[in-house]
Amino acid sequence: MTAAEAAAAQANENIIEVKDLTVSFGDFKAVDGISFDVKKGEIFGFLGANGAGKTTTIRTLCGILNPARGSVRVDGRDVSSSTAVLKPLIGYMSQKFTLYRDLSIAENMAFAGSLYDMPPARAKARAAELFDFIKLRAPQDTVAGDLPGGVRQMVALCAALLHDPVLIFLDEPTAGAAPRTREDFWALIRALAARGKTIFVTTHYMDEAQYCAHIALMDRGRIIALASPRELKKTYNAQNLDEVFIKALGARGAEDER
Amino acid sequence: MSVFLRRVRLIALKEYKHILRDPFTLAVALLLPLLFVLFFGFIIDLDYKHIPLVVRDNDQSPLSRRFLRQLSAAGYFDLAPAHGMLAAQAALRRNDTAGVLVIKKDFGKNIMKGDFTAPARAQLLLDGSDNTKAAMAQAYMTGALLKINADFTRLYHADAAAANPDALVRTRFLFNPELNSRWFIVPALNTVIIGFLAIVLTALTVAREWENGSMELLLSTPVRAAEIVLGKLIPYFTLTLFDVLAVFVLSLYVFGIPFLGSFVLFTFACCVYITGALALGLVISVITRNQQAAIQFAFAAGLLPSFIFSGFIFPVENMPLFFRIFTGLFPQRWFLSLSRSMFLSEASFAALAGPMAGIIIFAGVMVFAAVKKLKTDVEP
Ligand SMILES: Nc1ncnc2c1ncn2[C@@H]1O[C@H](COP(=O)(O)OP(=O)(O)OP(=O)(O)O)[C@@H](O)[C@H]1O
Ligand SMILES: [Mg+2]
Repeated sequence: MTAAEAAAAQANENIIEVKDLTVSFGDFKAVDGISFDVKKGEIFGFLGANGAGKTTTIRTLCGILNPARGSVRVDGRDVSSSTAVLKPLIGYMSQKFTLYRDLSIAENMAFAGSLYDMPPARAKARAAELFDFIKLRAPQDTVAGDLPGGVRQMVALCAALLHDPVLIFLDEPTAGAAPRTREDFWALIRALAARGKTIFVTTHYMDEAQYCAHIALMDRGRIIALASPRELKKTYNAQNLDEVFIKALGARGAEDER
Repeated sequence: MSVFLRRVRLIALKEYKHILRDPFTLAVALLLPLLFVLFFGFIIDLDYKHIPLVVRDNDQSPLSRRFLRQLSAAGYFDLAPAHGMLAAQAALRRNDTAGVLVIKKDFGKNIMKGDFTAPARAQLLLDGSDNTKAAMAQAYMTGALLKINADFTRLYHADAAAANPDALVRTRFLFNPELNSRWFIVPALNTVIIGFLAIVLTALTVAREWENGSMELLLSTPVRAAEIVLGKLIPYFTLTLFDVLAVFVLSLYVFGIPFLGSFVLFTFACCVYITGALALGLVISVITRNQQAAIQFAFAAGLLPSFIFSGFIFPVENMPLFFRIFTGLFPQRWFLSLSRSMFLSEASFAALAGPMAGIIIFAGVMVFAAVKKLKTDVEP
């Protein structure tokens, strides 16, 4: 096998390859030398306390931030040099509420679709399909600012999925949502994964981490554990992921003291 | 339609929706200029019409009488003939009149000769005890003379006029305070309105999108920085251009300020100046990413240059050398000079080229900076 073929086979396997990534804001390293791969079609969970660097990592993967050091490859390409090719492949749901509050649901969706050069009719049909899946009941002309929190997140998710991206970044999509809404959310996320989409999701909820094929635990810019939920429970000899998290952080704390 | 234009259009359409649904922005954009005009146009110097002026006509020719008729028709002066120079001076001393206008001998002959190096002469003696009133009288006279000169040139020397920008009639002012009247304020109002309002309007837009996170989302899509910048400029451009034209119409029909320049050139200058000011607002917005900081910056970047560095309040010519050069950095100064020249004179294109270059360069640099900054802002 030649080097090129090997690289191609690798790219086929891993849709994201991060090596030794560091992102700095001035002197402060928000992300400090992390490495991980994400396989095509899997749900990859990113867990960590506030300020751990999860959002910063996602923004770098989307090409919104440039790394200070290290390499970030998406779909076999370097992110900072081929953003134009990669952006249409990516769907990003930011942690902040990013719909326009003064525009209606329909207007927000139409705008999201047009950003990806979708024909209006196709964007509309696709939005209807997604809304159907999440059982959205609010009328299409409701102004986004008037929607209750959970529904808003749902609509924002649909906006991110509208152009049918193969790689989907969800930054705390279920934060503050009611348990029922969270279930609907995850049903959609798993359905997408079943259709071959790759999902990169950050969350604070350990029960949601169960659905992930792999989990990275992040703390203060570093990845302190990276494995499947089952392996993690085994390594840390824990009943559930909450316990894993506490033990992993505890180990780090002990290391710090040494 | 190319992808570029299509995306510019869709950003612009979205921005229009924001504007139309935000009553505050709309109110500020449409009412603020009106308030400005009312404040500076009416309130500041409403009392100074019908300034009494004693006239001593030493020429007594048909042309000198025609000159006086036109002057009085302008409505700013109430002319009263004086019998002899002594009587005129007595009237001035008694405070019966704001000044004395003396028309020199050969006034009519000189006009007919059309020798621009030896123009017809009149002298205006003003009572300097009322500073403001004297300034006003002088400014009115300057304005009236511009118009009368243009008329006379057209009537008697149409062929020579194009080649010679000098005046047929020239007045010597024996009192020379700073010019400060409606004739000089109203043509400058657009400078202040655009230089301030346009910056504030756009300063909020990108900052608002950063604050609610939608800018981050926009940047994760294939849309490019130049498309965002242009798309955001267009709606505010139309809004500001509307303001400018409204103020222009008010200047002409409510204040009766003459507009002697080229309307096409004036509109072009407005468009360039608006673009520069709007783009500066965007640059501020992109840098601050925060509405509160953006509005403070915009006030600083809009107010000071518009009022102080533009020559609106203090004439640039009277500033120390450092400030004469420093004010050149601000488009307000160049546009103000353009606007006054075009309102009050038939300035030739060559005379306008310098200030025109000033605002074009500024606009170009600002649009470039906004795109560049939005593009590289991605990097920490
Ligand atoms: N633009 C920025 N400038 C300076 N510091 C930043 C910037 N963005 C993030 N940070 C800092 O980087 C660190 C990591 O932030 P990040 O948003 O990635 O954390 P997070 O894991 O997403 O946290 P949360 O769970 O609160 O969303 C934080 O300490 C944050 O203050
Ligand atoms: Mg975050």
